[in-house]
Amino acid sequence: MSRIRFNHLGFKIEQACLLSDVSGEFISGQIHAIVGQNGAGKSTLLRCLTKEWQATSGQIEFAGKPLNQMNFAELALQRSVLSQHQELAFSFTVKQLVRLGFEAQQTVCSEQQMLAVLEATDIQHLKHRDVLTLSGGEQKRAHLARVLAQIWPENSQVSEAFNGKWLFLDEWSEALDLKHQVQIGALLKQWAKQGLGVVMVSHDLNHVMQLSDSCLLLKAGTLFTQGATAEVMTSKNLSDVLDVPVVVLQNDVGYPIIMPKKFDDSLKVY
Amino acid sequence: MIPKKGTLPVLSLVFGLLFAIGFSVQFGSVEIQLKDLLTGLSDQQSLVIWELRLPRIIMTALVGAGLAVAGVTLQALFRNPLAEPGLIGVSSSAALGAVLVIVLGGAWWGGVSSWQMSVAAFVFAMFTTVLLYLIATRRGQTDVAMMLLAGVAINAIAGALTGLLITVSSDIQLRSVIFWMMGSFANVDWQDVAIVATVVLISLMGLWRLMKPLNAFLLGEQACLHMGYAVQPLKWWVMGLSALLVAAAVSLVGVIGFVGLVVPHMIRLWVGPDHRALIPLSALGGALLLVLADLLARSLLHPAELPIGLLMALLGGPFFLMMLLKRRDLKL
Repeated sequence: MSRIRFNHLGFKIEQACLLSDVSGEFISGQIHAIVGQNGAGKSTLLRCLTKEWQATSGQIEFAGKPLNQMNFAELALQRSVLSQHQELAFSFTVKQLVRLGFEAQQTVCSEQQMLAVLEATDIQHLKHRDVLTLSGGEQKRAHLARVLAQIWPENSQVSEAFNGKWLFLDEWSEALDLKHQVQIGALLKQWAKQGLGVVMVSHDLNHVMQLSDSCLLLKAGTLFTQGATAEVMTSKNLSDVLDVPVVVLQNDVGYPIIMPKKFDDSLKVY
Repeated sequence: MIPKKGTLPVLSLVFGLLFAIGFSVQFGSVEIQLKDLLTGLSDQQSLVIWELRLPRIIMTALVGAGLAVAGVTLQALFRNPLAEPGLIGVSSSAALGAVLVIVLGGAWWGGVSSWQMSVAAFVFAMFTTVLLYLIATRRGQTDVAMMLLAGVAINAIAGALTGLLITVSSDIQLRSVIFWMMGSFANVDWQDVAIVATVVLISLMGLWRLMKPLNAFLLGEQACLHMGYAVQPLKWWVMGLSALLVAAAVSLVGVIGFVGLVVPHMIRLWVGPDHRALIPLSALGGALLLVLADLLARSLLHPAELPIGLLMALLGGPFFLMMLLKRRDLKL
């Protein structure tokens, strides 16, 4: 089991303090969600943890090693990152795009591995299409496939196949239709059982409730609380963190449902 | 290194290039046919081939290859297929550097050699590339409109400064400036060919190990980092090598636009954007295109000669518009 530990993390840019004194821990084999309002520092935290940005204070330990002593080549073999926005203006086919992910592993991918990744993200039928001509959700799945390919094991069927691997996802479910949210969500759970550590930023609270094992709640760049999902995702915590009255409805679906309380009353009339 | 499906394009471009060179060698004021090569050339014919036509044709091919590869690398740097040394002002800056050396050099230290012009052209091309990058790219994201508009501004400034230098230059300097600005291949000797050949070879060798990281770079600087490639050194190498290629071409034959736009675009349509195929094939394609364009420039108004820069602008301008329209339809 590997861990990502961070202590007293802070990030300042041009006098704006985006993150201050955030500490916590992520454990592999689990799905961790980062929750908060717009501008609460969710993506900033993700960027600091992936070394995309250098935290201005505090320490990060990635699998037992200080993050700032690891280089990107070393990191690339252990974790991959899906950013919120993709920047691509060239006509790669879906398969070529996914192959770029495999090539980052410094190995040649087998047809079997390629097929597994294409099927996991349900883009097998699009593999010869130009990525730029796909719909938003299809493009998202193609990039997700590319990101998965970077940490894809030789054989994804065996237990502990994803041991020591980490996946950082910024809003992966955005633009995806319900079917694919469910399919990929279920696979994330399965891979976590096989040892994968997942850290995701999400705005979809029900999604977080259903998928994640632990949640880290951020409020205005500071840590509100971190803990097991069922314990921290309470109506009291969420109403405070999100600055809007929220109810957590218990039911027999299998997981509680989160919704804003009194939808109309909570809105001011302008 | 080149993917399997690259074999056919490589072979067809190599044969196309050899065919074009063979055809081009025969064309000119002195009549020479391929069969004369077999039966033996007269002294006059062999002089024309070895001292006039061959150096010119090989120079054309090398410059075409260099400009096309410079286009590919700048497009990767700006992550956009519209980046082209002529359009974004790198070529005109290199030209300004060369003219500066002709005029100042003529006034201060007498004779000007072509390596002095090349060095000045390189310094100016490099400076402009870095400047453009700083203007158009923020936090690892390129703003295409900014890139093209900054290119318009740089083209205007470089053009105005070049004009200013011409105004203050003496008659003798003016003659060499104009002679050079025609952008023609008419006065090439083997020494020039050797200089450009060295630069193109060095650049291609330098790019060889960058082709894989460049693919990842197209996905954005952050994605490239997360895929484990060292982004900062990559950017410096790409800027340096593309400036080197542009400077070598411009300082020896003047500004020739659009090669770096047209060739990479056609090759991408054929084999896709993977640099491991794109860079070697663009080198071949650029060589082929410019040898053909030079042949056309020599034959259209024969015995007069059309400046090849002018011909490429006539061909490339509409091509650029077509690419813009296609992007509009894709909403990129």
